[in-house]
Order: sequence, then C-alpha cells, then structure tokens
Amino acid sequence: MPAPKTTLNPLRRPDGSATHSQNGYTIIGAVNGPIEVQRRDEIPDEAAIEVNVRPATGVGSPKERRIEQVLTTLLRNIILTHDYPRTLIQLTLQILSTPSTHSTLPSASSLPVLPALINTAYATLLAGSIRLSTTLAAVLVAVPKRFGKGEAVIVDPDPEEGGSELEAVARKGGLHVFAFDGRGEAVLAESEGDFGIEDWEEACEAARGVCCGLQDESPDVMEVEGAKRSMVRGLRELVKGEVEKEGRWRGEG
Amino acid sequence: MPREAELSLNAREFILQALRENVRLDGRAFDDLRELQLSFGDEYGVADVRLGKTRVLVRISVEVTTPFPDRKFDGIFTISTEFSPMASPAFEVGRPTEAETLLSRLLEKAIRRSSALDTEGLCIIAGLKCFALRADVHVLDHDGGLVDAACIALVAALRHFRRPDVSVEGEKVTVYSIREREPVPLSLLHHPLCVTFSYFNGGEIALVDANLAEEQVSEAEVVVTMNRHGEVCQVAKYGGLPIDALALLNCTNVALAKVQMLDKVIQQRLEEDAKRRDKGGLMAELSAENARANAAIPG
Repeated sequence: MPAPKTTLNPLRRPDGSATHSQNGYTIIGAVNGPIEVQRRDEIPDEAAIEVNVRPATGVGSPKERRIEQVLTTLLRNIILTHDYPRTLIQLTLQILSTPSTHSTLPSASSLPVLPALINTAYATLLAGSIRLSTTLAAVLVAVPKRFGKGEAVIVDPDPEEGGSELEAVARKGGLHVFAFDGRGEAVLAESEGDFGIEDWEEACEAARGVCCGLQDESPDVMEVEGAKRSMVRGLRELVKGEVEKEGRWRGEG
Repeated sequence: MPREAELSLNAREFILQALRENVRLDGRAFDDLRELQLSFGDEYGVADVRLGKTRVLVRISVEVTTPFPDRKFDGIFTISTEFSPMASPAFEVGRPTEAETLLSRLLEKAIRRSSALDTEGLCIIAGLKCFALRADVHVLDHDGGLVDAACIALVAALRHFRRPDVSVEGEKVTVYSIREREPVPLSLLHHPLCVTFSYFNGGEIALVDANLAEEQVSEAEVVVTMNRHGEVCQVAKYGGLPIDALALLNCTNVALAKVQMLDKVIQQRLEEDAKRRDKGGLMAELSAENARANAAIPG
C-alpha cells in the first residue's frame, strides 16, 4: 500500500500549510496563528484553538463537528498554549479526496478519516512553526470479528485494495484510531464497533509498533515487517528536510 | 476574527504611481492574465486551478433525487461557494463575507442562468427521479481574481465530469457504477468564462486580472462573462466609478481574446487528461454515449 505522503507549505497565504495522504484520503491543512482572538473566545493565560474540518463535498455536518471537537481536545494538549496567551490558533483541514470505498462505509463512521486528519494537523502546525510539546502520529487499526480465530488485526488498512475487508470490519468488528506522542504514550484512543478488551489491547500494541517503533532500522526486522514502516521515522525525515531547508542560509555543509 | 489587512497609504500610492507610469508590480502588461495552471484529479470532476498565487479547487458530485415539483423535467444543479479561513483568516466559517456573496452570485449568473449546463439532460423520469449535481468551490489560496479562477475551475470541472450511466425500464431505474459501465459526460451547451477588469485613477487605467493588492486599490470592477463564440452571457459592474459605454465595448473585445485563449488551454488540458486515462485505447469502445449523427442502418 502507498506510504503516507506529506508536503509542507504548499500554500502561500496561511502561516503554515501541509498536504498529507493516508489510507486513500488526501487532506490539505492550513494554520493561522497566533492571531487576534475574539473577545468571547479569549483565554487570559493561553491560546484558544479553533479547528475547522471541511468535507470534500457538501457542507459540514454533525460528524465534522464531532471530529473537530476530538481534534481540538487533542491539540490543546500538544500545542504549548501557554506560550501564546490571549491569541487564537486557527487550523483549517480541507478533505480534498476520499477513497472510492468511502461512500460504502457506514455513514456515521468518522474513524477512517481521523488518522489522516491528525497527521495533517500535526504537519501543518509544524510547517506553521507553532510551538509543540511533543510529536504526534496516528494510525487506524481494524480488528475483524473473528480475531484470534485465524484472523489478525489490520493496521492502516488500504481502502482501495482491502476496501471490502475494511467495510466488513466496519460493519462487524471493531475500528480503532490510536495516536501516540514522542515518548510512545497513547494520547488518543477512539474506538467503535464490536470488540473486547483483549482485542483493544492487541490493536493498541500493533498501532504503537507502527507509530513509534524504531526497531525496523535493523535489517532482520525489516525483512519480517517489510511492509510496515514506522510513522515516527517518516516524521523525522520530514522535520529533518524542513530544518535543512530553513537553515540553508547558514551555509553549513 | 481579524479583519483583512489593509494596504498602507504608502503601498497604495506606490501601486497607483506605478500604474500611472504604465508599470504593474509583477511586471505584467495591463491586459495580461497571470500564469494559469490547470490539473485534474484522479476522479472525474475535480479541477485544481492556479492563477498566479490564487488556487481554487472545484469538485463536482452527483446523486439521484426527486426533482422540484414545479420543474418536473429538470435536474438540479447547485453551486456552493463557502470560504474557509484557509484562504484568509478574515473569512469566518458560517458568516459569508461580501466577497463570498459576490462570487456565488456571479457564478450563478455566469454558469447557471446562462444555461451552460443542460439541466433537462439530468432528468431520468419526469417528476420522479433526476440527478442532483453539486459543485463545491474550495478556495485554497487567495490572491485576488477569485471570480476568474473559480469560473475557469468550474467550467473545467464540469467538462471533465462524467455522470453514471442509467437505464430506464418503465418505472424501474438502474444506475450503473463506474465499474459496470463507462460513465457519460454532461451535456454542456457552451462554456462561459469570466474576465475581470479593474479601474483606477478615475477610470483612466484598466487592468485585467488584478491581484489582491491591486484589487484593494481599485475604484471599480467590471466582470464580463462570455463564451468563445463572443456571446456575452453577463456583464456586472461593481464600485462607484461610472464607466463609459465605449470602454465597456472595449472590455468585451479584450475579454473575447482572453476567453478564447483560456478555452484553448482548458481544451488542451482535457485532451491530455483523456489521453492519460485512455490506457490501451479502449475508451472509444467503452463509451456508452449515444452517437450524435444517425448511423447508417444496414440492410
């Protein structure tokens, strides 16, 4: 399956922007901040955070409002809001394309798009040079109903190839989204569907492996888990590239 | 929400003084458009237009619904323009600004009321079922010329879009997915495009395709919509400055040249995209479109 792809600062106008593709979703994010905040939203000792999620077609629905709420809560813990008192950090996430199987998923399900949104939000904040306390990586895990009886968890399912599989899990099994910070601690766990506590723990460990595993740097593990890559390594590459670009004027190297 | 940052007095004077000396800040001639980049998505009906630093993405989507009771033979076509803070922090969600209202009205007049799209072609069974076509205009980056860019993106997306094929047997309608049958292009009667003229210095200076800084200094704007045959679909004028009738005639002449040039670019990009999709040259066989000319009946 195609690895997540991120570009920083494709737009000119906002303070920071990023495009990110994952699980067949392409999302463009833009952040403006710290900017002037309306009086009613102003918080005396920290920054107010506003997240707007805009669907590819149509206007926002309660589903988007819910995702916004989840993201706002998550980002409030990641952004060093006390560094920007009485300001606003305004994040807009526009879904540009959805996989063709998106319409066959149960309409209430907001989980398949969530990891892509979280990772876009993180890359956007990074591009906008907003001070953050830690890194962030999120992944989708599908646990089939017959888990443990011959079926394994699917980490980061590809909606184009395993579309029907994902759909079946969405209807019958459990879908989970986990996000981890730089220390490998879970900062977000959203689940839906039918699952037990053992399934959940298994899914959490699998997600942790993908999000923050650095073990696949050794060649042996690479062979075993050839298809899996670590999100954290991707993030490091991204940050490295950005820092190199920004620091070009120093003339080092 | 912060207000849109206004240009300083010095910046205004600088732009105006430069214009009086026949110079534009970005070095273009007065009747030059910015560089146009047009790309299509992997799906049908997604057009991404970059006009200089302005970037607009239009996505067309379709679903089957019941037609309006007073328009039984017509399908439904809606254009949604909702600005997000992505384009500028001055745009607030759920509170339309003046620019947004103007854009949606102009697109309405230019595309819908000029009947560029044959809505009767979207009807499946009169009074019972029709296609509802929806165009979402997403402004990603705002550097002026939104009307021109949005219009180009909308027309390109409509020309690129394919709706699913349907078959009707009595009252029973079957909508075929993309995998079952090759989807059908929309029937567009003509392709209207907008060209915006901005007036400065009491109407003496006219610019084509002003960027955001120039738009903020301009005293009046004229938007001319026409198709490549030179048929004017609408003329709109904003701002307090009176514009001479002869100047308006001149506008339509300049607009015609621009529209023909833009139309050619869109056509070229569409052909390139069709070639890219037509792997193995099977498209002609797959097409479910009815032949326009009557084929000779054998026997």
